[in-house]
Amino acid sequence: MNQKEDFSELQKLLQLKRLETPGQEYFERFVDAFHQYQRQEILREEPWYSKLMEVLFEPWVAGVPRLATVAASAACLVAGIAFFLGPVAPGSAALADGKVAHAKGIIVASNPTEDSLQIQPELIETAAGGEVTQLRPLYVNGHGAVAYDSRLAF
Amino acid sequence: MSADATKDLDLENGPTDEELVAETVKGSLASYDELIRRFQSRLYGVIYHLTSNHEDTNDMLMEVFDKAYRSLPTFRGQSSFYTWIYRIAINRTFNFLEKRKRRQGAMSLNEIDEDGLPKYDMPDPIQRNNPSKSSMLNELQNKLNESMLGLSKEHRTVVTLYDIQGLAHAEIAKIMGSTEGTVRSRLHYAHKQLQKSLGIYLRR
Repeated sequence: MNQKEDFSELQKLLQLKRLETPGQEYFERFVDAFHQYQRQEILREEPWYSKLMEVLFEPWVAGVPRLATVAASAACLVAGIAFFLGPVAPGSAALADGKVAHAKGIIVASNPTEDSLQIQPELIETAAGGEVTQLRPLYVNGHGAVAYDSRLAF
Repeated sequence: MSADATKDLDLENGPTDEELVAETVKGSLASYDELIRRFQSRLYGVIYHLTSNHEDTNDMLMEVFDKAYRSLPTFRGQSSFYTWIYRIAINRTFNFLEKRKRRQGAMSLNEIDEDGLPKYDMPDPIQRNNPSKSSMLNELQNKLNESMLGLSKEHRTVVTLYDIQGLAHAEIAKIMGSTEGTVRSRLHYAHKQLQKSLGIYLRR
């Protein structure tokens, strides 16, 4: 073996790294610290929906889309498109009795003072320029509602 | 903890790792504590020499023992517990390194406090009353860490397991799920790289 292939000096130098270790006290306390860690981990167990989000979106963050993620995202997209392009159901949809605004068919109503929303068709008529409209509710929560009217989508 | 599960465990005569695993699966937390004591120092070394960061190593070590504890019921004994837990430590450290690389864009060296000394209670291999030697040692430590971080994680792992922890090629091959030939070849390449970057510290 020539001189360049002799790594014995290098190996001695690398053995110095064995000294880079915490003191014995650290290891004596480690088991107790580990028990404490386990208790904390149990307390902060992530809820199932958080894990689901992680599975779905972490691969995108990493820039490596998984097949399952791609498939799930495509299914959501198709379902969303089908929902928007589908026929408008008859009957007036519910919206809030507070402020109403719309743009390109998306109607937003909000009423921060009421917990339960009472839908008043006249408010929708106002938003739609006086016409009676047929609406598809998209999202309703305690203080607001979002609906879609394809006739206003211009 | 179940008292019955640990009653017959003769810790003084040294149960094997596999016996401790069996007792842990039956519900003996004391047996798992014993496994932790057996492996904590070695696993600390592996993780630390891969990350060059004591704080990260502490967090990772907790995670590794936690993960191993949760996975013990699925441990079938096809490999030794020793190989199995080393694999968990290395795989999780690799994942951590990938995440750290993405998060930081670059790896951080070991934290050095304001005095230029490591944050944890490190044994002092030279006398503090020799500041020039101490300074040289710190410089050498930084350079060693820097050179190790310059290697790929696979090369760093074989150097850590072979040169620092003193494992045999065959054991490293089992842990890394590769052949002895691959281990030897990675080791040779890593040595050449380190020889290049640490050349000025080596006697000719």
